[in-house]
Amino acid sequence: MDNREVLVDIKNLRTFFYTEDGVVPAVDGIDLTIHQGEVVGLVGESGCGKSVTALSIMRLIPDPPGKIVGGEIFFHGEDLLKKSNEEMRLIRGDKISMIFQEPMTSLNPVYTIGDQISEAITLHQKINAVEAKKRTIEMLHLVGIPEPERRYSQYPHEMSGGMRQRVMIAMALSCNPDLLISDEATTALDVTIQAQILDLMRGLQKKLGMAILIITHNLAVVAEMADTINIAYAGKIVESATAREIFKSPRHPYTYGLLQSIPKFTEKRTSEPLPAIEGMVPSPYHMPKGCSFNPRCPFATEKCREEEPELVELAPGHMVRCFHPIES
Amino acid sequence: MAEEMVEITKKRQKKSSEDYTYVGMVFHRLTRHKLAMAGAAMLIVILLFVFVGPLIWRADPNAQIEGIEGMFNAPSKAHPLGTDDYGRDVLARMFFGGRISLFIGFVSAISSTMIGAIVGLVAGYYGGWVDNLLMRFTDAMLSMPTFPLLIALSSVIGKGVSQIILVIIVFGWMQDARLVRGMALSLKEQEYVEAARAIGASANRIMWRHLFPNTLAVLIVSTTIGIGSAIIYEASISFLGFGVQAPFASWGNMLQNAQQFIWKAPRLIIYPGLAIFMTVLGFNFFGDGLRDAIDPKLKL
Amino acid sequence: MRDYVIRRILGMIPLILIVMIVSFAIFSMVPNPFAALIENPRIKRSDIDRLIKAWGFDLPWYMRFFRWFGGVIRGDWGPSLLYPGSSARDVIALALPVTVRLMGIEFLVALAIGLPIGILSAIKQYSMTDYVVTVVSFMGMSMPTFWFGLLLMMLFSVVLKRPSGMPLLPPGGILTPGLEEASFWVKFLDRAQYLVMPVIVLAFSSIGSWARYMRSSMLEVIRQDYIRTARAKGVPERSVINKHALRNAMIPIVTLIALSVPAIVGGASITETIFNIPGMGKLIIAAETKADYPTAMVGLMLISILVIVFNLLADIVYAWIDPRIKYS
Repeated sequence: MDNREVLVDIKNLRTFFYTEDGVVPAVDGIDLTIHQGEVVGLVGESGCGKSVTALSIMRLIPDPPGKIVGGEIFFHGEDLLKKSNEEMRLIRGDKISMIFQEPMTSLNPVYTIGDQISEAITLHQKINAVEAKKRTIEMLHLVGIPEPERRYSQYPHEMSGGMRQRVMIAMALSCNPDLLISDEATTALDVTIQAQILDLMRGLQKKLGMAILIITHNLAVVAEMADTINIAYAGKIVESATAREIFKSPRHPYTYGLLQSIPKFTEKRTSEPLPAIEGMVPSPYHMPKGCSFNPRCPFATEKCREEEPELVELAPGHMVRCFHPIES
Repeated sequence: MAEEMVEITKKRQKKSSEDYTYVGMVFHRLTRHKLAMAGAAMLIVILLFVFVGPLIWRADPNAQIEGIEGMFNAPSKAHPLGTDDYGRDVLARMFFGGRISLFIGFVSAISSTMIGAIVGLVAGYYGGWVDNLLMRFTDAMLSMPTFPLLIALSSVIGKGVSQIILVIIVFGWMQDARLVRGMALSLKEQEYVEAARAIGASANRIMWRHLFPNTLAVLIVSTTIGIGSAIIYEASISFLGFGVQAPFASWGNMLQNAQQFIWKAPRLIIYPGLAIFMTVLGFNFFGDGLRDAIDPKLKL
Repeated sequence: MRDYVIRRILGMIPLILIVMIVSFAIFSMVPNPFAALIENPRIKRSDIDRLIKAWGFDLPWYMRFFRWFGGVIRGDWGPSLLYPGSSARDVIALALPVTVRLMGIEFLVALAIGLPIGILSAIKQYSMTDYVVTVVSFMGMSMPTFWFGLLLMMLFSVVLKRPSGMPLLPPGGILTPGLEEASFWVKFLDRAQYLVMPVIVLAFSSIGSWARYMRSSMLEVIRQDYIRTARAKGVPERSVINKHALRNAMIPIVTLIALSVPAIVGGASITETIFNIPGMGKLIIAAETKADYPTAMVGLMLISILVIVFNLLADIVYAWIDPRIKYS
């Protein structure tokens, strides 16, 4: 796996929001690597900074109040944070594209879906309108939309949520990106539709070979798809390993807690409640001293409350940010 | 029984503390709203001017200085803002004119909001033909040009403070009625209203105890902005000569009176106009801030 | 759609009837409807009595209403009592073009300035520009027109003079006497001078409202998900605003514009009075205070019916520009 070329290398990314009530360090030193053609999961509870990481890669952080205050995001070896706005715009939708959580509101209601996909194509490729339309219909076909010629001239409100998310995927993939960022793309969908969309993404990844960064709060979503999984907590990566490693031997107490809270259907039914992680995600205005997980951690010691742990490689490719990692 | 009482008291306390945090939150946001604070400052200055001013400067607004020497005096120690065409003290007239203008503004804005709220609640709560009838009437009232009818009605019912208030109310309740009706329609579908109906609460009780409090915040914003426009209406009616009549002062009729002396004493135009402008601007700034603090998405 | 329009047009009939009855009822309360004639020494008392009988003023108001209404159905709106010898319709027809010229120019000026500054204010929310636009808009909305009119008159007609000693701008009227037969361009330039002050007075207050409406509509759209989608596919910021945001933000504004058109006919009583412009606003006020109810009724009915018709037009335009709306 690691012999594949590195596509994205995020180093110590820090994105802060300057609100009236104080500074929110939404992303506070995230490190993340994505190889070409790799499927990477970024998992965490809401507010852990995973969506902000994605928007930072796209350089779409709303400013004000947000600002990328530090770090580097290397893409094909070049730091995206050093690119001009215009250079960045040419990358967005072409080399890196993104799909969002809300398929119902992510498409412009006053343009046909055909127009919206063609726009993405003509923005980045020197082709005329007729070719763009042809390519759009191909893309609609590719993402499994029936009757693409008819659908081309329909408006978003005439489609279901699942269909709209397919349109979003078609739009995102229309320029053959190297990286597709999927920000909770299936969260708002029904479970069956969710499975279909995940299937579709997996199939397209095999066919087209782009790398995918899947952002989700749901470990089950990445379980089958991701090659590597990064667990984020309070704006930092706390554990990073191959999917197999994460599920087989989680080392960070938070990851362990997350895994425990997934119901398992193979187990015998008991009346025991599902184990949940105690407490709540700390308020971004009042980050605890030391390890940010310490107030919720069953293994926390005096050291955890005083010092902040570093991300350490415990096994080849298995990084953990914890003083007292769980033994494998 | 005793336990039940404890439960109820607890619930009450919880509710009131929640209310406090809601009001507290709105207040907190309001204090951070620069324009709202500017508006509040302007209104405080105006209110102090109008209500505390006469305690400091005790002049009779209607006392006339006889003879030509008393007319159109420039500002001086004896008359800080000078005198008008009858030799009356302009500062004192500004105080009392302001009281009348503000009184008309407050009373007519609050009353028309209340009438709008009643119409809207009844229409929204009962629905059906009641709603249809009330809303057709509201639509009809809204399609009539307000100002000409305002003038027509005041020329009919006579000139005076209470008449002006009545006229402004007659043509001022429709927007609030629509607003409240819309809110009542969505509120009455909510579970707690269903529950109240299930335990046999009367229609009146549901309307006033369950629906009305939820529209209150919006109505306060609407009233705040409404005071500003009511003051403009009063001034406009008085300006055309159908408002508050001499010798009583209102900012509107002071302006109307000053119009004929535009060449002779332009300052007589500046003072009342500036006072109206400041007051209305203050209410608009404050109302806008209040709306942002309550719900920025509110359409008013 | 056709059925919807027919249904709406049928719905207008009771609305128009209510408007007629309410307006008529207000005028019928005027204690002495023939005051204007009695004031006129050239008209004999016996003639007035004859008129009172002929026009049914010896009948109760509802009987008179039926008489008047019968006339209206036949196209006869009655005589003007303010201008004896003319019909009420002719009197209104004289004032109409004066008002439409003034209000039409004001309307276009207000839109041409108000909408762009509203957009600017929204896309630069919380900037200095935004604050200036907001404060100036509120000042316009809070400015009493009669006061502003008088101030302008003091400035342009009292303080500022031409070298000839004449006021810089004429303080009132619509055309310099004696120029009625002049060539088109001479009249055009002369009229323009009379229009400057009233247009400034009226436009200043409506610029503020348009800017506020446009700003809030634009702000509402800018934070929608589909705007982020547009940026994510690499749409240049200019097109994000002009193509994706504006098209959506204009939907409520176009509706509002349609709803405001009747005001062009209604005129502006106060401004017309200050600047001595013989338009609809001034005429209607004069007619109703001098008890010329036929003339006032023609004016009021014209405005009210236009309001009702443009309400329907606004809804039709709304359905036309917003693909999500379909009436059935």
